[in-house]
Amino acid sequence: MTTQTRTLQPRRFGRVNWLGLATFAGRDMRRVLKSYRYSLLGPLVSNMLFLAVFHIALGDRAWNFGAIGFSQFLVAGLVVFAVCERSFETAAESILYDKLEGMIWDTLMAPLTPLERTIGYTLGAASVGLLTGAVVLAASLLFVRLPAPDVPLLMFFAVTGAVILGLCGIIAGIWAEKWDHQAALNTFLLLPLSFLSGCYYPISGLPEIGRQLIQLNPIFYVVDGVRAGLTGFHEGSLQTGAMLLLSLAALLFILVHRLIRSGYKVKP
Amino acid sequence: MPPNLMTATPIQPPPQVRQFGRVNWQGLKTLYLKEVRRFAKVATQTVLAPLVTTLLFLAIFVLALGRSVDKMGGVTFMEFLAPGLIMMTMVQNAFANTSSSILIAKVQGNIVDVLMPPLSPGELTAGFALGGMTRGLLVGLTTWAAMTLVVGTHIHAPFFVLFHAAAASLLLSQLGMLGAIWAVKFDHLAAVTNFVITPLAFLSGTFYSVERLPGYWAVLAHINPFFYMIDGFRYGFIGHADGSLAAGLAVMALANLALWALVHRLFATGYRLKA
Repeated sequence: MTTQTRTLQPRRFGRVNWLGLATFAGRDMRRVLKSYRYSLLGPLVSNMLFLAVFHIALGDRAWNFGAIGFSQFLVAGLVVFAVCERSFETAAESILYDKLEGMIWDTLMAPLTPLERTIGYTLGAASVGLLTGAVVLAASLLFVRLPAPDVPLLMFFAVTGAVILGLCGIIAGIWAEKWDHQAALNTFLLLPLSFLSGCYYPISGLPEIGRQLIQLNPIFYVVDGVRAGLTGFHEGSLQTGAMLLLSLAALLFILVHRLIRSGYKVKP
Repeated sequence: MPPNLMTATPIQPPPQVRQFGRVNWQGLKTLYLKEVRRFAKVATQTVLAPLVTTLLFLAIFVLALGRSVDKMGGVTFMEFLAPGLIMMTMVQNAFANTSSSILIAKVQGNIVDVLMPPLSPGELTAGFALGGMTRGLLVGLTTWAAMTLVVGTHIHAPFFVLFHAAAASLLLSQLGMLGAIWAVKFDHLAAVTNFVITPLAFLSGTFYSVERLPGYWAVLAHINPFFYMIDGFRYGFIGHADGSLAAGLAVMALANLALWALVHRLFATGYRLKA
């Protein structure tokens, strides 16, 4: 009887553990795809309902903001809302769930550097957010005609927005100690920021003070950029928006990297 | 010397089975209080969060539509919208309360704690339904109070406000029980919420007068029970209804009775509850 023996040895890799990073980043996407009814079809249905309700209640009457109709205006808002909400939720839930169930060790023990884990979490969350956004956009295109979308512009703002919200989600997941904390952040911070960002209405119609306040909200620049990409209509400066979002993403990335490296609230 | 506890004569008579009449009032009250304490413990999530979300909804719709839609149903758009939003948040929370309570208990296995006590199917139905109603009405009341500060609502017919608030909360509490008894995992319940409850609520005339709908859709809206609860409730505030008020009262009462019979039957047979 022969036993096939193969000496076990640690896998070798160079400066970056590419296989580990890919596995780690793909984790959230696989989980989401597994429950696609809840995670993809749910947002799809509710967003189409939103579109229908706004369309019935308003139609394109009395709409005088540039060359685009209200439904065209609205699509960008729905897509960005889906992207932002899902990116944030994915990262926060992934980390918090692992923490509460004690599975966070599986990720901490894996041969991944803090930088690789930061990138992995961010990519995982952002890709889920972008997939949800793409599904919502695809469904909207059945009802709403978008003449000449500028794809690079659209992608730039959508990806930056997803990354920023993903990073915020990581911070939330690390900070939260129970589901209540995460739910509170969702309701009292993320939801107001997303709703009061010009997602669903043009800020030109607001009083001066409202317009200025909304311009302090980073999500406004994401919506505005994505809308510029989809319809060519925008209300703020795209350069300012891009600069602001990129610097915010960089700052958040450094912060998250430090948090993950220090093991704040994750390692004993 | 302390008295010898081992040999001291017992002061109390030995325990016996508690006696109660046709209705186990004590048991019903305990089940109801359990349901209320369950959501009251996390009031930030169950009462405050819906309030904030609803106010944000109001802000958005007014910002997005207020300019171009000045009158709907004979009142300003904000006055038209406020009752619909209150109703929507009430029914969502009534549904969430019973459905999450029963499904979590089922998934975790502690549903036996509810099934073992001497509670009849009728008492179980009543206890859960009243708990869900309480949350729905409480959320409705706080939302109404907050909106009164912003919009300044006045009440035209208190009977219709109270009747439809109670009937709608009860209806959705019972739908929540039905959904949770049927569901085996959380995905199933999420599907019920996403594909049944949300569409019915959104397409019910909460955000617009169904008079605006093209013919075929207007007919569809009139067979949606959610239309009647919102229409009647709104009539109580603004004194204008899109549909028939009598039909609304009848639909709500009948739907509640039918659901009560169904849920009662499910508890009695133990469908997906008892092995």
